[in-house]
Amino acid sequence: MNPDLKSLYRDTLLKHSREPSNRELLPCANATAKLKNPLCGDLVSIHLQIDDDHVKQATFEAQCCSICMASASMLTENVARSPIQETQVFASSLIDMLTDPDKKLSLPENDLNALSGVKEFPSRIRCATLPWEALLAALAGRVKDQV
Amino acid sequence: MNDIQSPPTIPESLIRARDDFPILKREINGKPLVYLDNAASTQKPQSVIDAVTRYYSNENANIHRGVHLLSQEATAAYEAARGKLARYLNASDDSEIIFTRGATESVNLIAHSFVEPLLKRGDEILITHMEHHANIVPWQLLCERTGAVLKVAPIFDNGDLDIEAYLSMIGPKTKLAAAVHVSNAIGTVNPIETIIQAAKAKGVPTLIDVAQSIQHIELDVQALDCDFLIFSGHKIFSPTGIGGLYGRRSLLDGMRPYQGGGDMIAHVSFDGTTYKEPPSRFEAGTPHIAGGIGLGIAIDYIQSIGRNVIHDYESQLIEYAANRLKNAPGVQLVGDPTHRSGAISFTMDNAHPHDIGTILDTEGIAIRSGHHCCEPLMTRYGISSTARVSIALYNTHEDIDALISSLDKVNALFG
Repeated sequence: MNPDLKSLYRDTLLKHSREPSNRELLPCANATAKLKNPLCGDLVSIHLQIDDDHVKQATFEAQCCSICMASASMLTENVARSPIQETQVFASSLIDMLTDPDKKLSLPENDLNALSGVKEFPSRIRCATLPWEALLAALAGRVKDQV
Repeated sequence: MNDIQSPPTIPESLIRARDDFPILKREINGKPLVYLDNAASTQKPQSVIDAVTRYYSNENANIHRGVHLLSQEATAAYEAARGKLARYLNASDDSEIIFTRGATESVNLIAHSFVEPLLKRGDEILITHMEHHANIVPWQLLCERTGAVLKVAPIFDNGDLDIEAYLSMIGPKTKLAAAVHVSNAIGTVNPIETIIQAAKAKGVPTLIDVAQSIQHIELDVQALDCDFLIFSGHKIFSPTGIGGLYGRRSLLDGMRPYQGGGDMIAHVSFDGTTYKEPPSRFEAGTPHIAGGIGLGIAIDYIQSIGRNVIHDYESQLIEYAANRLKNAPGVQLVGDPTHRSGAISFTMDNAHPHDIGTILDTEGIAIRSGHHCCEPLMTRYGISSTARVSIALYNTHEDIDALISSLDKVNALFG
């Protein structure tokens, strides 16, 4: 495989895209947001069960590419049982690091690190950030459905 | 399985065509560029690039204004381009060609200046299910303003228009029958002759979107007897930001201006302003002069090869591409119309179109992935996007073969 492609389509990313975690409805969700990338038509919904200050559970539904699917899958694993404020800061910083060419990308040493290659493919950055934008929208309660 | 036909032979007048397009010598990701995204925008021949450079280097001035030589030369070159377009489409007069920024602005112009004054609440505008957003959204906006209703004729699963349904929807309330000639998303060629004749028999004006056919298929507005054609320059080898429309002069004469400003007026006073005759009435402000001149040179380029030669060759090449794709592992065509021109959409079993596009890009192959500004059509097929291959006169069967080989890499990663 072309070395650049290897960097984008890392094994961990492909694993999450083929067998995503938590790709299901969340009947007890009390915060949800659906976002669309108007450029390509991809859709992601993030469903959250939150209490006063924690995300208890997160699931997603999506009609999207492998990068977006993997990013959403990893998102749900990462934010479950996390404090809301910490989750918001983390999501904003992740979006910032991916979208700002001047910012250094420093991802956690877990599955999320598989997103590191995305930055070399500017046309695919939004694929990775879309679920995180939906997460922030759900947490803010600003957007119930932007589609 | 369909037999893979033998690749088409490149006709004599197209053998050196690739050399006319300097960008085709470029390498992408270390591989020779294989450009198969022509429905989005075509590449530019050296003659067009030179014409734009020459205008800015040697002729640059505003048009229709100055008495000085530069302005006269610029005006002559810009108006010559209008004449070339008029002859290319066989318009009966140069004034039937209006320059705009492109097909999108042309639809908006016709919506504002021609259709809106005709509309009463409950009147209807008819389109097809395979239109580009440019031939949907301006009508939705107009319907919001007027209380008119947008009617959408259905298509069959193979991507053909249900022509019987379309014709039956032309009724007493129809104020415009519009249709795309060739679908940018799935390549369907629609029977515009039938549409125009049926609409005309019922006294309904017609608008045909020829953005995708103008570079592939010979168009004769007098033989077609259509009222409006809309098109973009950049899909026919000219610069971006220029395009136009053909309008029947008797209709243009009765139309109100689109935008107000310089160059479209006969006389201005605070007591009242009068407007120029077509085409100037619809061309307010300084236009994209270099673009217009470039468009004229692009027409010269096509004419130097011959539209019939281009059409015959491309028809064979797109059929070759469709057959090869039908036989490629894991590939499904989206729409398999009876008559196809220019474009093929497909999906793959395990790879999303966006991933297909990225993998092909690393092989130097440029295709489009997405909804192609045809979301209602995508929804009709129950998908959000496709991968699309679209050809132009400089493509060869080697380009198609490179595409098919690279799809193996997609299967290797996602299959």
